[in-house]
Amino acid sequence: MCNLTVAALLCAGLVAPTFAFASPALLETQCAECHSDKKAKGKFKLTELGERPAADNLKRWVEVLDLITAGEMPPEDESDITAAARKDLASFVKGQLGAYEAADKSLVKSGPRRLNNREFANSIRDVLMIEDVGTHQPVANLIGDSLHHGFDTHSATLGFSKFHLEQYIDAVRKIVDATILSGDRPASRRIEVPAEKMFRAHTSQNTKRSETHGANGSIDFLDPKSPIYFKDFAAASATGRYKITIRATGKDRNVYASEQTGIREGDPIRLSVSLGDRVKTFDLPEEKPVEIVLDEWIAAGSRLQLFYPTDGLTLVGNGNFKFEYRIAGQHLKEHDPARYAKIVAGLESKKPGRTAKGPDAWQHWVDYWQGPRPVIYSAVVEGPFYESWPTKRQVALIGDKPSVANAAAILQPIAERAWRRPVHAGELDSIVALVKAKAKTMNEIEALKEGIVAVLVSPAFLLLNTDDLTPEQRFASKFSTFLGSTLPDAGLRAAVAGGKLNSFADVRAEVQRRFDAGQGDPFLRAFPFAWLLLNDINFMAPDPDHYVFYHRKRVSEDMTAEALEFFRHAVANNLRLPEFLAADYSFINADLAEVYGATKVPADSKLRKFTFADGHRGGLLGMGAFLTITADTLSTSPIHRAKYVMENFLGIHPSPPPADVKIEEPDVRQAKTIREILAKHSSDANCASCHKTIDPYGYAFENFDPMGAWRDAYIAPTTEAAGDAEADAPAKKKRQAAKAPTIPIDASAEFRNGAAYQNIQDYRKLMLNDANRDRFVRCVITKLLTYANGEEPRAGFAVDQIVEQSAKHGYRIVDTIAAVIDSPLFREE
Amino acid sequence: MNIDRRTFLKGVGGALALPLLESTLAAAGATGKPPTRFLVVGNPFGAQPDFFFPKNFGKDFAISPTLQSLEWMKDRMTILSHTDHGMVSGHGKEIGFLSGVLPSTAAAFPEKNMSIDQLFARQVGSQVRYDSIGAALESGIRMSWTANGVEKQPFTDPQRLFDHLFLNLTPKERAERRELLKRDGSILDTVGSQFAGLLKNASVRDRERMDQFQTSVRELESSFANRETWLDREKPGFDISGHFTESEVTIANRYDAIFDMIAYAFQTDLTRVASIEFPSELKYTDIEGVNRSYHGCTHNGKMENVTAELVAIESFQIARLSRCLKKLDAIQEPNGNGTMLDNTIVLFGSGMGYGGTHSNRNLPVFVAGGGFKHRGHVDAADASGNSMPLCNLYVTLMQRFGIERDKFNTSTGKFDLSHV
Repeated sequence: MCNLTVAALLCAGLVAPTFAFASPALLETQCAECHSDKKAKGKFKLTELGERPAADNLKRWVEVLDLITAGEMPPEDESDITAAARKDLASFVKGQLGAYEAADKSLVKSGPRRLNNREFANSIRDVLMIEDVGTHQPVANLIGDSLHHGFDTHSATLGFSKFHLEQYIDAVRKIVDATILSGDRPASRRIEVPAEKMFRAHTSQNTKRSETHGANGSIDFLDPKSPIYFKDFAAASATGRYKITIRATGKDRNVYASEQTGIREGDPIRLSVSLGDRVKTFDLPEEKPVEIVLDEWIAAGSRLQLFYPTDGLTLVGNGNFKFEYRIAGQHLKEHDPARYAKIVAGLESKKPGRTAKGPDAWQHWVDYWQGPRPVIYSAVVEGPFYESWPTKRQVALIGDKPSVANAAAILQPIAERAWRRPVHAGELDSIVALVKAKAKTMNEIEALKEGIVAVLVSPAFLLLNTDDLTPEQRFASKFSTFLGSTLPDAGLRAAVAGGKLNSFADVRAEVQRRFDAGQGDPFLRAFPFAWLLLNDINFMAPDPDHYVFYHRKRVSEDMTAEALEFFRHAVANNLRLPEFLAADYSFINADLAEVYGATKVPADSKLRKFTFADGHRGGLLGMGAFLTITADTLSTSPIHRAKYVMENFLGIHPSPPPADVKIEEPDVRQAKTIREILAKHSSDANCASCHKTIDPYGYAFENFDPMGAWRDAYIAPTTEAAGDAEADAPAKKKRQAAKAPTIPIDASAEFRNGAAYQNIQDYRKLMLNDANRDRFVRCVITKLLTYANGEEPRAGFAVDQIVEQSAKHGYRIVDTIAAVIDSPLFREE
Repeated sequence: MNIDRRTFLKGVGGALALPLLESTLAAAGATGKPPTRFLVVGNPFGAQPDFFFPKNFGKDFAISPTLQSLEWMKDRMTILSHTDHGMVSGHGKEIGFLSGVLPSTAAAFPEKNMSIDQLFARQVGSQVRYDSIGAALESGIRMSWTANGVEKQPFTDPQRLFDHLFLNLTPKERAERRELLKRDGSILDTVGSQFAGLLKNASVRDRERMDQFQTSVRELESSFANRETWLDREKPGFDISGHFTESEVTIANRYDAIFDMIAYAFQTDLTRVASIEFPSELKYTDIEGVNRSYHGCTHNGKMENVTAELVAIESFQIARLSRCLKKLDAIQEPNGNGTMLDNTIVLFGSGMGYGGTHSNRNLPVFVAGGGFKHRGHVDAADASGNSMPLCNLYVTLMQRFGIERDKFNTSTGKFDLSHV
């Protein structure tokens, strides 16, 4: 069915009348002058295209098509080509590509790759039918996945080595051991934990000071970095279900001003309970003790710790919590001068022989601290409990009377889930033989566990997209890996096998159903994270001395959350893709509002839709994440920003500067604008041939400083750091205080095709024209395919077909995702 | 993760280092010659060239600010100006430091982008307990690559490195480990036969990926066999708790612990190849005068105070290495002439020239020790001013390591550095 559609489209393309009139001659007359072998402007020679597309020049053909379609080539200023001829030229190139791709089916095939660590954990969870791989951090030892241009699903960085294999065996063992519990049923205990038996754990490797514990019936969180643990239940000794009851309250919510503590008025005081790597977070009421109850399956060895999650309490001094204690002194001075005077008077007599610290020193005020914090009164831990023995999960997996004699029958459904297909005849023989051999020296359940481990370290589980899968099995596997980062459930496999996902409409409906059911959540996080390179946000973080607020309030986390929230919103509302660029809104909280200069935003950390009236922001082009990722620490770079926009929004890949070019090191001390520094880009013909295309994409953002805040002029960074003095003052005031010579900003530029802009508002409009819209859509589709296939699509014509399908549905995002999944490039047929 | 850092103190405190040189002697015994070792230290951002490279060439060069801590051995090192791997500028190329090849172009080379340390490790093979050891703090910099073109990740926690190198198992643990090795071995046997059908229609490219899996099974099997042989032999005892007695443990303490462990692993012939990496993510703010991120400092916009922070970080790296070399130089080579340093090829460098310009030219590189007749500060460029491929140096090191080859990846010859 799918094949038919594609064939029809291909044919339609090939016989379309425009193709008949276009010819290679047009390419010759229009392009040869600049792109001769000798001149080779933009490092491109026309002769590279050969007679027609071939394996070694395919990329060039695709680039040529893009440049012609976008009207960038031939350039407006050096050519007199008519609009009609331009169209003819594009049609010719497109036709050539279509014909080539129709003849070579291998272009839509993508290779096998290893599961990444996320997919590994999710897939084992689903094979063993458990809630997660366990709280004992069984996958923490896996070798981290390297990203390839942001993607953790890319086959280029998902190689396999003996180191990987060994860690897989280790992780699988740990997970299986915590799922199938052999031996006697552990006895259940009830442990009362009074505050006196709760301890504040060391945070650093400072092991000399003894740990402090609660007293007088309560323990409160002082340093938020320091977790609290229970002396008599530091970690679970047996795997099972535990009930944990904690009596706690939030305290002293409003004693100190929000600008001092950095905790927003509207944010609740929260308490996190971590069980190994599973974390549950609760809002605490103020001054009203409540009981928090957790009922969790905990693996043996998992640590139980309580945390105070906040991005506040780091505004004083160098950001270390201890300096916050100063606020206690200041507060007393203001509100209870008599008591303050008394305390100060008593300071000197304390430690004889030591130089007395002034009354402002934090050390004196530790005991008087009244910052917002959780207070814990007591806790009870009960467990482990089991609904039955053997446990329910174990019975579900291997039955209640597992025996080695039935090894094949027990392992068969497990292998079927793990290998994403039915088990072939004889395929389990070697694993069953292993189980039988092991049963001679160990008990039957342990021997069966060896069989399960073998199933889960076999290539059919650890490698995706292998040839043992039928086209239907492959499609089901890719579908669930794409949306859910896990293997397909039986329902999905049956639906695909039964031909129920053969049409665009059916795929569209299933995608929607999965998003609605939360089964697409892994995609909603991982895809935008990869596409927008969010992992890089602090690779070149704004300078900590000049952008104190950014670091102290961990604004990069808010920026990352903003980008992810926008994407989630787009999918939930099936927005048109161009809205990512056109939107005059985004999702911000009080911290982001401070960076963005937005007013009337509720004083809390929750992201809410906010419309920017100034025309500067909204959508991807105004996001702090993008603006920070692409800036240096002290200065901004139009080139980095241009490159980001081109590669991630427009799908253009500017070639790197030639190896012999000497790049000037930016010198921020001089009173020169970035435009003056980059003057060579237009004066040197060698640079200009590429930079004339690149630089205009970036100048528009010059009004955004290295952390993405708006500025009307450059302020030369002073060698005197703004944050060195007293960091107590709110960040806003400090920024204003740093008065230095200023240079006005010029954020205008002209594109190669003649389009010009004066400022970011104009630029944003240009980004919405038809050519850029098509490029953006094609770029997103390319990124979706890269995420799905573990490699960039090679078939440009097939990508174009997805763009057309997307266009038919108004470029709506869910429809576009469905079009990607329904395409030959995803189905690989 | 679950390992309590304090086991450092509790577990090994008191077990004072006693020189356990049996295995070294045994190793030397076969050939009568001391083994050659290799230590490489790398970073991801190169070095500020004005502070790294000495101002003058020749044997009598004046030591540069960044290399100050190596002054004591300036006649036993060779600093190379004007070497590179011919790569375009930008981040991400530094991962080719030890191979001259990027993963994206690895297919054109028979050993992919295998790094020189792994080539040496392969040469050493099962002669020692660990064919190579990689270490860093927090995270690695993608410096070591296997012949399959897969990166080999370093130990990033000193505690785990310690356990790996020096923790001896109780008889009970040993029995359990042996049992586990046997069980894992059987799993591999079983898995090894699970390839039928996976490769049916695979193209050449896909077949390579599948081969990686099969190779992994084979290699892990042989590694298990090797480990079983070593299981009964005692590891040398060692004590690094001295680095953790201060109330605040700094990155200097932790790197010194790592270097000490490597030096002792050399001394006791646990391994002969070691690589140590200084990642960008580490909090260098422990260092006096540094309050920015490493990467942030490289983009200093030529501001003097920020450049000073960068140079402090780079000098810090060199100082850690220098301290280790002093240690190696204080140990007489058992069964041979000179000190252990004379039999240890030391390489420092980066695949990036200088982060401030994103340049991958003029890589900051020096060789020390290894019994070479050192040449001081050398301009490696040829008569017409072209830089020397860094792989030429690797050919020289390779031959010194006893590998009779005259070509390594992008080499065009060899760097002239003879040895005693």
